[in-house]
Amino acid sequence: MEPPPAPPLVSFDRVSYAYPQSAAPVLRDLSFSINRGEIVGLLGPSGAGKTTLCLALAGIVPQFYRGRFFGQLQVAGQDTLDEPIHRLARSVGLVLQDPEVQLVTTRVEHEVAFALENAGLPVAEIHQRVASALAAVHLDHLKDKHPHELSGGQQQRLVLAAALAQQPPLVVLDEPTSQLDPASTTEVFGLLREINATHGTTFVVASHASEELAATVSRAIVLDAGRIVADAPAATVFRDVDLFQHLNLRPPEVTRTFALLRSAGLWPEASPLPCTLAAGLAALPRLPPAQAFHPGSPPEENRGSPILEVRKLTHTYPDGTTALRDISLQIPRCEYCLIIGRNGAGKSTLLQHLLNLLPPTSGEVLIDGVPLRDFKVSELAQRIGYVPQNPDRQLFNTTVEAEVGFSLESTSLSAQQRQDRVERALRDMRLAHLREAHPFSLSKGDRARVVVAAVLTMEPEILVFDEPTTGQDAAGASAILDLTRELHAQGHTIVIVTHHLYLMPDYARRVLVMGDGRLLLDAPLREAFHATEILATTSVEPTQAVVLAQAAHPDNRALTPAELAASFSPAPTPP
Amino acid sequence: MSTPDLVSVNRQTAFSRLDFRAKLAVFLTATLAAILWNDPWLNLLLAAAVAVGCAGVGIPPAYLRLIAKVMMPFFLILLLTHGFFNVQHVQRLVGGRELTTLFNLPDGWWGVGGSRFSREGGLFGLNAIAKSLTFMLMVPLCVFTTDPNHLVVSLVRLRVPYKLAFVVTSTLRFFPLLFDEIQAVIRAQRLRGFAVEELSVIRRVRVYAKVAVPVILGALHKAQETEVVLQTRGFSGQADRTYLHAHNLTGADWSVIILSLTALTGAVAVTMVGWADFQG
Repeated sequence: MEPPPAPPLVSFDRVSYAYPQSAAPVLRDLSFSINRGEIVGLLGPSGAGKTTLCLALAGIVPQFYRGRFFGQLQVAGQDTLDEPIHRLARSVGLVLQDPEVQLVTTRVEHEVAFALENAGLPVAEIHQRVASALAAVHLDHLKDKHPHELSGGQQQRLVLAAALAQQPPLVVLDEPTSQLDPASTTEVFGLLREINATHGTTFVVASHASEELAATVSRAIVLDAGRIVADAPAATVFRDVDLFQHLNLRPPEVTRTFALLRSAGLWPEASPLPCTLAAGLAALPRLPPAQAFHPGSPPEENRGSPILEVRKLTHTYPDGTTALRDISLQIPRCEYCLIIGRNGAGKSTLLQHLLNLLPPTSGEVLIDGVPLRDFKVSELAQRIGYVPQNPDRQLFNTTVEAEVGFSLESTSLSAQQRQDRVERALRDMRLAHLREAHPFSLSKGDRARVVVAAVLTMEPEILVFDEPTTGQDAAGASAILDLTRELHAQGHTIVIVTHHLYLMPDYARRVLVMGDGRLLLDAPLREAFHATEILATTSVEPTQAVVLAQAAHPDNRALTPAELAASFSPAPTPP
Repeated sequence: MSTPDLVSVNRQTAFSRLDFRAKLAVFLTATLAAILWNDPWLNLLLAAAVAVGCAGVGIPPAYLRLIAKVMMPFFLILLLTHGFFNVQHVQRLVGGRELTTLFNLPDGWWGVGGSRFSREGGLFGLNAIAKSLTFMLMVPLCVFTTDPNHLVVSLVRLRVPYKLAFVVTSTLRFFPLLFDEIQAVIRAQRLRGFAVEELSVIRRVRVYAKVAVPVILGALHKAQETEVVLQTRGFSGQADRTYLHAHNLTGADWSVIILSLTALTGAVAVTMVGWADFQG
């Protein structure tokens, strides 16, 4: 007689939930279960309910946030409504988006031990579990460090170790890699696969990182407006390109490429679309031979003397860390320039010099030939506008109009001149109809527009965007990048820092690749994205389209799935 | 100054290696001596010794400068108040003798014209300043040199409830975060072109009031996130927990505790025989 099947680890039974202040439910009538050992990916556009679902698994919703909860949710046989959060923590480990806010102690070792101490485990067992959790995330050599001294990727691995040390059967991760560079993202997802294989831990991962999810999860659940719209093995879900398009999500580039090839009649209907890079590379021989594709870079226009110039810039922090080493570059007027490199490559330090927030140790930065050190930070804002990663930190006022006009209050402009500038900025950013709205009542994309409008009132020629697409879904990221394109078309010089290389081919023209404080490459975007050896030295992973293009033909320099698909001969080979 | 720098001093010294209970003994001895003594020169000597100690253990000079900057107006008020107006009390302390005038305010000054600044009053003001300084410098000397985790364990060993000990250390960590948040918001304003330095004092105050909105929102958000994180790590404030490191008192700790108690006895004796009285 066969043993009865093991009960599911997680069981949702008609679960609906609404936050205290929201009229509409965020989760609607969810019924599904998760078995031990699964890795489940949660996908969906912003506002679909992914984070709320993650919080519900840990009991935080509704125990901490209150609100209206219907149905029953059980994790490891415990009802998440009845079991206190601190006791549920022994069954559910939770890893949130921002690693910094999850660090509660002052030593790596203590961070991992904290939950175990709270559980009252014997000291010998705590030592053993701490050692094994740190070894699992490859941080054992850093156990005496202060957590704030670690890189973003290391911090996220530390938070994961803290969750793993409790040896919960389930670990829930909400956007665990949104602030990490591509190499660290790959590292974290690789770790999940490794721990799942060795310890059998069940993972639920909410993420916009389609490529990594497709390569990691065994099952994918797609949420939209709080409801499940797909729940199937990962390969089935990621191949559903129409569903991704319908929900404004971004399928893996490899899947998108093969979907386009299928539309062109080059990939058989009967053959499934590859959804991992490995599967895509393996499928290349089944395609007709790819052609060389090297459209070259647009001819350089003569744009006169550079608007921004960095001369032999070096910066060493007081602790002795040299973050920039002898950087020299020129940015002409109306350039759209992308800065890339792994976390700690020197991008932020360079930006701070461009904004005159840090004095160079040696060398200088000039704007139209004038050293930046001659400007106050607030004066420089009239030449260089800065849009930070988190626009919420720049919102101080109670209406959009007041926010946009805020900086002008300290200028000598007349009331009429100020009002004219505010009106122009509101009009340019299409915010005029929202002028009376409270900035925090707007969507994240609109809040970013408010900050850009406020920056534009100072009429800067250069706009610097720091990681503007972090935490955005595909639609949100496109909206912000479309805005940068509009501004570029209006004649602004754009400098943008991002880890999301796959978003940039349609926008940036030139790329600065940074690594270990040096400028490794300064080239047109196509050339830079295909300089895979140089990218590897700063742990920047090329996009899937680039890898596939190079594998398809040694002289194929396609950047996007559309370019890549178009570069194959229209003669399908039989499958 | 980054957050971790302020929360805990990284320099390893014999003092920083002491258990917090031994540091607490030093703290109590110094502050009780400062309270008991009324001789300005003794108290200034004590404050100077504590300041040298702070520098020796690696308290960032920027932090010491910040204390000096923030407290300067209060110290000035103390000095002027005692120097000009604390006449009867100081006269009683010096046995009723006439106070020595160092200078007078011009007669024409409204309300305070003709007031005399006495040497004895000024010294009494200096005495009050030195007492405050000793206390203010002992806090970073003992707290910033202690790892917050050790601090929790030491407080629990002193029978402070675990939840309270954790709240104390979390608060210590929270202040630098708040400080960072304020700096970030002010910097964000400047980056948007807002020239605070161009404004009148009243408008500056209005602007800083506006800064309070995102700072408080950010701080509340962080506090809420921290609470969620703590609960997901099984934190309930219960005392029945274990500790990775037990932190038992060492020979050095006991030596410092005994020395502190001896010094405290000495300080009391000095007070009782009148050597620490205010002489003017």
